[in-house]
Amino acid sequence: MLLLDMLRYRLRVLLRPGRHARELDEEIRFHLSLEAMQREHAARGRLSSTDARWAAQRRFGNLTVTKEEAREMAGLGFFDTARQDIRFALRSFLRTPGFTVVAVLTLAVGIGANTAIFSAVNAMLLRPLPFKAPDRLMLVNLTVPARGTNPPKEDAPWSYPKFVVFRKAQTVFESVTLWFSTQGTIRVGTDAERTSFELADGSYLPTLGVRPAIGRNFSPEEDAKPGGESVALLSDAFWQRRFNADSSVLGRSFTVDGSPVTIIGVLPPGFRGLSGRADVVISFMSQDAQQLGEAWSHGYELVARLKPGVTSAAAKSAVKRLGVVVDEAYRHPDIQNERWGALARELDGTRVDPVIRRSLLILLGAVGLVLLIACANVANLFLVRAAGRQREIAVRLAIGAGRRRLVRQLLTESIVLSMLGGLASAAVAWWGVKILAALNPVTSLRMQQLGGVGTVTFETIRLDPMAFAFAAFLTLLTGVIFGLVPALQATRPSLTGALKSDIDRSRLSRIRGLTSRNMLAVVEIALAVILLAGSGLMLRSLGKLLAVRPGFDPTQVLTMRFSLDGVGRDSLPPFYDQLVERLSGVPGVTNVGLTDCPPLNGGCNGTILVHRDRPAAARGTEPSVGVHWVTPGWFETMRVPLVRGRLFTNADRLGAQKVVLVSESAARAYWPGQDPVGRPVSVGQGGFYEDTAYVAGVVGDVRFGTLDSLPKPDVYISYYQSPRGRMMMFLRTAGDPRSAIAGARREIEALSPGVPLYDVRPMTERVADAVGYARFSALLLAAFAAVALALAALGTYGVISFGVSQRRKEIGVRVALGATRQSVVRLVVGQGIALAVAGCVIGVAGALATTGVLRSLLYGVEPSDPVTLVLIVGLLVTAVIVASWLPARRAASVDPSEALRG
Amino acid sequence: MAKTAGPSKSELLKGTLDMLILQTLTVQPLHGYAIAQQIELLSDAVLTVEQGSLYPALERLQKRGWVTSKWGESPTGRRARYYTLTAAGRRQLGAEISDFDRVLVAINRVMRRA
Repeated sequence: MLLLDMLRYRLRVLLRPGRHARELDEEIRFHLSLEAMQREHAARGRLSSTDARWAAQRRFGNLTVTKEEAREMAGLGFFDTARQDIRFALRSFLRTPGFTVVAVLTLAVGIGANTAIFSAVNAMLLRPLPFKAPDRLMLVNLTVPARGTNPPKEDAPWSYPKFVVFRKAQTVFESVTLWFSTQGTIRVGTDAERTSFELADGSYLPTLGVRPAIGRNFSPEEDAKPGGESVALLSDAFWQRRFNADSSVLGRSFTVDGSPVTIIGVLPPGFRGLSGRADVVISFMSQDAQQLGEAWSHGYELVARLKPGVTSAAAKSAVKRLGVVVDEAYRHPDIQNERWGALARELDGTRVDPVIRRSLLILLGAVGLVLLIACANVANLFLVRAAGRQREIAVRLAIGAGRRRLVRQLLTESIVLSMLGGLASAAVAWWGVKILAALNPVTSLRMQQLGGVGTVTFETIRLDPMAFAFAAFLTLLTGVIFGLVPALQATRPSLTGALKSDIDRSRLSRIRGLTSRNMLAVVEIALAVILLAGSGLMLRSLGKLLAVRPGFDPTQVLTMRFSLDGVGRDSLPPFYDQLVERLSGVPGVTNVGLTDCPPLNGGCNGTILVHRDRPAAARGTEPSVGVHWVTPGWFETMRVPLVRGRLFTNADRLGAQKVVLVSESAARAYWPGQDPVGRPVSVGQGGFYEDTAYVAGVVGDVRFGTLDSLPKPDVYISYYQSPRGRMMMFLRTAGDPRSAIAGARREIEALSPGVPLYDVRPMTERVADAVGYARFSALLLAAFAAVALALAALGTYGVISFGVSQRRKEIGVRVALGATRQSVVRLVVGQGIALAVAGCVIGVAGALATTGVLRSLLYGVEPSDPVTLVLIVGLLVTAVIVASWLPARRAASVDPSEALRG
Repeated sequence: MAKTAGPSKSELLKGTLDMLILQTLTVQPLHGYAIAQQIELLSDAVLTVEQGSLYPALERLQKRGWVTSKWGESPTGRRARYYTLTAAGRRQLGAEISDFDRVLVAINRVMRRA
């Protein structure tokens, strides 16, 4: 009852403050009229009604004070004061538009950039995965011990027989599912299209907590045994695009790489599988029974949902034990004593590549520093402004305003300003998020580098309620940060100083203000040095990366692919002959080559190399090589140099003596100090294992992995000695490679009607993609550093030029006494340099302490790289000199007569 | 925001205004003017308050839940806000009276011995 009464009263007051005030007025009027009436009555006509009213009012006391006190008692005093302060703040901002615009823009950039980067962090690292109870999902992989030079693997995929053993033995998961993502040509009617799709078993959708929007999931019969009927669920997007959202689509069929698939359902909107890209999900068991029965054919991902009550730690140790069970069921047939295992981890932990996680956090830290610098800058502006208001503040303190009250008013001003900045920052954030989402450096990364969850992409970066909450929090925080120091400082009780005459007060009270302004400028410079050092390192690393010679010439080369379903293995060599001949005839094309895996692919197919002229190495310790299929013309097309021996010729065909080419790295690693040409070898793939092949030549190294990793030993096999359907076309052109696209398309259409071409891009674009992420983080960091540099320069300019304006008379006196302009400039610029030196010393120390976090992101540069630091310090000192030279020139032009007129 | 103190004939003991208001409301709900009248009347005009200070006190008592208010019609037919003592207010009054009594007894004792 008591609580209810209190609550009702408070709600009435807070929700209807206007009504509360009106009612109080009415109540007091009523009171006064009764009192007046009573007095008039008691005086029996000796008192006029006007006098009676006056008497009543005197008896009542001060009306305004009473009302104010009543409002204070009612708990409205806080709001009254706030409203008053806000109105006062807005009026004073309007009076100084220059100050306001600079401060608001500075804050808008600072808060907006932070919100944008936070949105990226939120989307990539924080936002829950779009599945039911995503924290209960685990990713389970096989582990492989180290073999010879190959490091151990902890993320190996599964084979179906091993999965069956695991599923039968496990007790910690509510459901386990096997799936994988691949690409293929889907044909609906006569329309062919290259798309991504997934194969998944019947537990896939229930494990992720997804129900088909139309139709059904795979039935137990369809899921029972390998070689089952081929059925599929369509993604909502694919259903809309290819079937016009026709709900009678169930039971219709299409083909995937030539084989028919029946539609049994449509997935809910937005769901595109764990890969995040699937157009179609096909029943796992539709695969070839023989392929699925192969225990050493690993290629499937295992995802599981924890049973209620089972912790992920418990599941992890259970999976470790299960790994032993699986290993005992399927021992490696050839390698003695090799023990495989299993490892479970939270699916959420694999959502992005650690490199992306790290660089996003670094960017968040960097943009946080930018905001700090922005705060320091605005605080500085506030200090300058407060210096101009010292007299006003002193007067108010003198006539009895409490220091608390004044601090509150000044804080209100800074919060109002930060609110304006926060509002303006929405535009910056919106723009920043749009750019981030469009940059999508993820497309430049291989899927496997991105970790397990394809649904997490830069495209999902957007301004959501979390981002707005973050921006609001930052706004308030910055308001307090940049407002508190000037507020406390401006109201420091030194009344007398400020009230004394102009000249007197300039000494003591100003020195303190000047030192805190100097300190802010030093902090700004120091923070800017840290940011510049970080971005300088990243830029240098990017430069080194761009200077890496990938081992081929990417200019004027066009790449493209199409899939070869329908061409038999034996007819591949003649088909390639025709293809190369037709493409060579396209106007502008000078060379044509095919290979199975493009350079800078992030890694290609690898196998073992066996020396036939040496004793056999133990199983598992054979040298490893990357193996590549090429047509004879590929080396010339890519301008990969021949080092010794010969290249492939058209005579190296099926039936002729098998030959291979090796890379320089392979030659160095496996024939050190010898000439590999003519040596007999076997290669563990492409029918080159049982036979002996001879090394025909040595070619230059090509980086098939990444730009920043050294080339590995490679072996090349000719397509004409080992037919293979996987291939990519490389066309060297005389001019712009894009100009050859139309001609190439025509020739391929004539050769193989209806096949979709894909991956049609100039090779230079592929190279640019390979450094896409490095460029993205380096440029973003550089942009932040540039903003920091500009703010620090602006801050220094503000401090110096304020100092000059305050010292005009002193400078005038100096000039009058014979100081030259030069010495005046030196005096002022020297002050700037002092700030710069102090800032740089602190900043360099800070940079040395923090740039270590960049280590894993840098290529060819040490985090403590002295060249970068020297350049950065030089840049900053130059910027500061320029920033203080402008006010110095103004100081030098002071007319000495000013000092005398004073 | 300097507060003007309101000593009229005798300084109201600090905090006693609340107690007096609560006391006047024990019999029946009253409006603000009537409360002021009652206090003056019952104390034979010894205790007078600056009438204005009544209203902040009434807000304070409402905030604490000791008094509630409701608009009603006064005998003259005009709208007036009537204040009612709540159960919590009654308890509070009891507590304050016994406190006050204790203090009075103590003061008396001191004054007699002196």
